[in-house]
Amino acid sequence: MANNSDAKAALYTQTLLAGLWRENPVFRLLLGMCPTLAVTAAVKPALTMGCCVIFVLLCSNIVVSLMRNLLKPHLRILMFTLTISTFVTIADLFLKAFVPRMSEMLGPYVPLIIVNCIIICRAEACASKNGLAVSVIDALGMGVGFTLTLCVLAGVREILGTGALFEIEILRAHSQGGWFVPWAAMSMPVGAFITLGLLLGLVNAVSKKTKH
Amino acid sequence: MNKIKHFIEQSWLLVIASFFFGLLIAVTNAGLSPRIEQNKINKRNRIVGTLLPGAKNFVPLDSEIEIESLQGKKEKVELYRAMSEAGERVGFSFNAAGSGFADKIELVVAVDKNFEKIAGFDVLTSNETPGFGDQIKYDYFRDQFVGAPAGELKPVSLGEPATIDAEIVTISGATISSEAVVEIISHSITQIKEQMQEKGLIGNGKQQ
Repeated sequence: MANNSDAKAALYTQTLLAGLWRENPVFRLLLGMCPTLAVTAAVKPALTMGCCVIFVLLCSNIVVSLMRNLLKPHLRILMFTLTISTFVTIADLFLKAFVPRMSEMLGPYVPLIIVNCIIICRAEACASKNGLAVSVIDALGMGVGFTLTLCVLAGVREILGTGALFEIEILRAHSQGGWFVPWAAMSMPVGAFITLGLLLGLVNAVSKKTKH
Repeated sequence: MNKIKHFIEQSWLLVIASFFFGLLIAVTNAGLSPRIEQNKINKRNRIVGTLLPGAKNFVPLDSEIEIESLQGKKEKVELYRAMSEAGERVGFSFNAAGSGFADKIELVVAVDKNFEKIAGFDVLTSNETPGFGDQIKYDYFRDQFVGAPAGELKPVSLGEPATIDAEIVTISGATISSEAVVEIISHSITQIKEQMQEKGLIGNGKQQ
């Protein structure tokens, strides 16, 4: 009995950690690149996007896991998409109602979560094969991993692009009497590509070192 | 008969799930849509309220006004009468849109009560380049419109921004974006004014 629960606990921890580092959706699986590049000009929208993805991932993994034995193989993708689009629409409505400014800032990228590969990948690879508990933990691990990655990327870009973090001034801009000259390019798409590339390189270098 | 049985066997989950999910979205939408509508109204009121001091209530105009957009499409204009607390007309506001440098630019334009002078504009949505095109949101560009005649406007690259007239000095480094704003406002305001004069909603400027 004790062995059994130990094994279970180990499985849960492993599932949770997989999303954070070993199978991090952005750095390891390179999934969900569209929001990663598009909404990371500042930390606030990145965090909002991350929370939306956690919510959708959690709900879709729960629903898919519950109906995994009823799924017909050739109709499963259709069912996944139906489930995901339902929860994305709900998340979108909530953002519009409670944080209208953020919703405007994110624009089409919230509805676009429907086609975010992370969610359909977790439905296919995990939730449709595992029980409720593993699916929930997997959703949390992957969701939090995605959110953290987005925030790191957005943090780098916001500081270099505007000199602020969470819209709070950290580096005083040259025009305000400080020394820092904001890199406008960092707030633009080019900044997203460069930062993502450098971070990917860094993650690869670190994981190579830890392997040896 | 077998075909129907096969069909139901394959698709019952999909049908039930569609129904259930549809219901879920409908309930959420019904619960949240008053709030979402209110947010939109608040936003417009906030913007127009700063452009037209004293504006408290916004009444949609009874008669429909349609203008031809810059792309040549017929579009209905959302035109509002801005009323003061005492119920007096303080001006008009309408939404106008057109393409900018990167993406569509959507503006709210406010005009004084006789539709003679522009009271100002603000950007609802735009996706212009940060540091360059997004300067259309800044006061030093927007102030040129405050008090400008509500008619045809001309973008010029050289001039005195402090002089308030139909010539709007574009922003260097953001020529396309600032010209687009001038064009959007000029294009919509002339058509709206013409139609309102035809309908007798405002004076035609000749009798006064």
